[in-house]
Amino acid sequence: MNRKMHKSCFVAILLSAIAIVAFGSTFFYWNRQNRTEEEFTIVTSFYPMYIAAENLTEGREGLVLKSLSEPQTGCLHDYQLTAADMKLLSTADVFVVNGGGIEEFLTDVAAQYPDLVIVDASQGLELLEDNGHAWMSVALHRQQLNNIARGLAEADPEYADLYRENYGIYDEKLKDLEQEQQEFAGDLAGEQIILFHEAYAYVARDYGMEVVYVMDLDEERQVSAGEVADVLRAIAEDDVKIVLAEEQYGKEMGDMVTRESDAKVYYLDTLVRGDYDKDSYLERMEANISIMRGLAK
Amino acid sequence: MIEMLQQFFQFDFMKRAFVAILVITPLLGILGTMIVHKRMAYFSDALGHSALTGIAIGVVLGITDTNLSMIIFAVVFALLLNAINRRALAATDTIISVFASCSTAVGLAILSMGGNFSKYSAILVGDILSITAEEIGYLLVIFVVTLIFWAVAVNTLNAISIHPTLAKSRHMNVRLIEDIFAVLIAVIVMLSIKWVGILLINALLILPAASSRNISENMREYHLYSVIFSLFSGVVGLFVSYYTNVATGPMIVIVASLIYFGTYLFGKNR
Repeated sequence: MNRKMHKSCFVAILLSAIAIVAFGSTFFYWNRQNRTEEEFTIVTSFYPMYIAAENLTEGREGLVLKSLSEPQTGCLHDYQLTAADMKLLSTADVFVVNGGGIEEFLTDVAAQYPDLVIVDASQGLELLEDNGHAWMSVALHRQQLNNIARGLAEADPEYADLYRENYGIYDEKLKDLEQEQQEFAGDLAGEQIILFHEAYAYVARDYGMEVVYVMDLDEERQVSAGEVADVLRAIAEDDVKIVLAEEQYGKEMGDMVTRESDAKVYYLDTLVRGDYDKDSYLERMEANISIMRGLAK
Repeated sequence: MIEMLQQFFQFDFMKRAFVAILVITPLLGILGTMIVHKRMAYFSDALGHSALTGIAIGVVLGITDTNLSMIIFAVVFALLLNAINRRALAATDTIISVFASCSTAVGLAILSMGGNFSKYSAILVGDILSITAEEIGYLLVIFVVTLIFWAVAVNTLNAISIHPTLAKSRHMNVRLIEDIFAVLIAVIVMLSIKWVGILLINALLILPAASSRNISENMREYHLYSVIFSLFSGVVGLFVSYYTNVATGPMIVIVASLIYFGTYLFGKNR
């Protein structure tokens, strides 16, 4: 009996010792973390927003800038928030989203975190119906930047001047891009085209092109034979010469169109994947523009 | 401190994870006693690795719920191992090793097709936060089944592990009981592997029971301490992992290992 008491005593001591050490050290760790969390945390929903915020916040000290989805996730249609995402958002001060229906989970987030400041980049923009890919238009992206800069200045007034200044510098570069577009936009106006990604509807609008058919090819899209026939019929009927597609998901369909018809397929970048380089948007939009310039000739 | 605890239960996924821990750790603790006792540690390890094959088969057949294909494959695999073991062509550990390597290789081969293995690498380490309410329901069912089986068969199992031939001569249905036990291990391992991870599932089965064995003198103590150790490691591990951003499975195993070393020293000096 004595020995049994001895043993349960030992177990109790062993477990409490482990518990005390574990809880104690965790508490200290957590406490220290909480103290360092007095920094300003901005979370962006996905790639174009991250790059935008990266440019606007340059030089902001003590800033934590994080993206919700990995830079390889691409567009956020049907994106499921993970536990890590929810935890990340719980530490955020500002959440920068593209808006326009791209972030379908946004209402859930707003309900879970009533205190979180959500900056909707597409607020007040003239969007196409059911299509939130506003960053594909340089003109609209400039307005998005303006919205984000204002939102940040409001949420973090101490650095408001910095955000405004950064906005001015970045907007200058975007303005150059837009002017470049306008140089040859007239040559493309009225041209009939087919799109293999709904994001390019904004490109078409920027150049005044007429979209005769849209087939939205993305991550989960399965195309039926009937749809393929529809595309080919549309090309033949309107004598379409230009198809805009995305490399990753539109390549197979694009090859097929090249084989079966006279139309040429051009691959534009949707600007939703890439590394964290802050000039990424500028460089890749430039590449898109030079493709379009080739079309104008 | 209170604020810290509040934060812990702020999210639904943490509540789910906590409930899952409360259900599954006692279960692993109970099963572990007999796995250690019957020297089946290697068997349960091989079963864990067969999860990869189960997923691969599910992917090939286009089953969306890979839970199902994992469980079916693991059950078949466990029964197969038992059957071959009875023929005793070679030492048990050799046979298990041959089959485990073969099935792991097939699983890896299929899953790595097209360079896509990274999609499945989560299963190696596990993610406790991914557990759904439905899966907790399954766990509860299996928990009840295990308790019933234990109440009926624990003495038989014990007898078999001590002396199989003697048990047989006493008209015990050695084969049936062994098979049911193997199937139970298979199902439980498959249901918990998603959040503990293939690499560590066996540690959770073995460590609490092994620690308990260090200090206990009879079956009752053996079971009691195993369950206590298992539950304790689970709760403390989950708690620490949440605040320190460490994966939960490894943290639980670290706590369980500490307990093992403690009891080992105590047992040795007794």
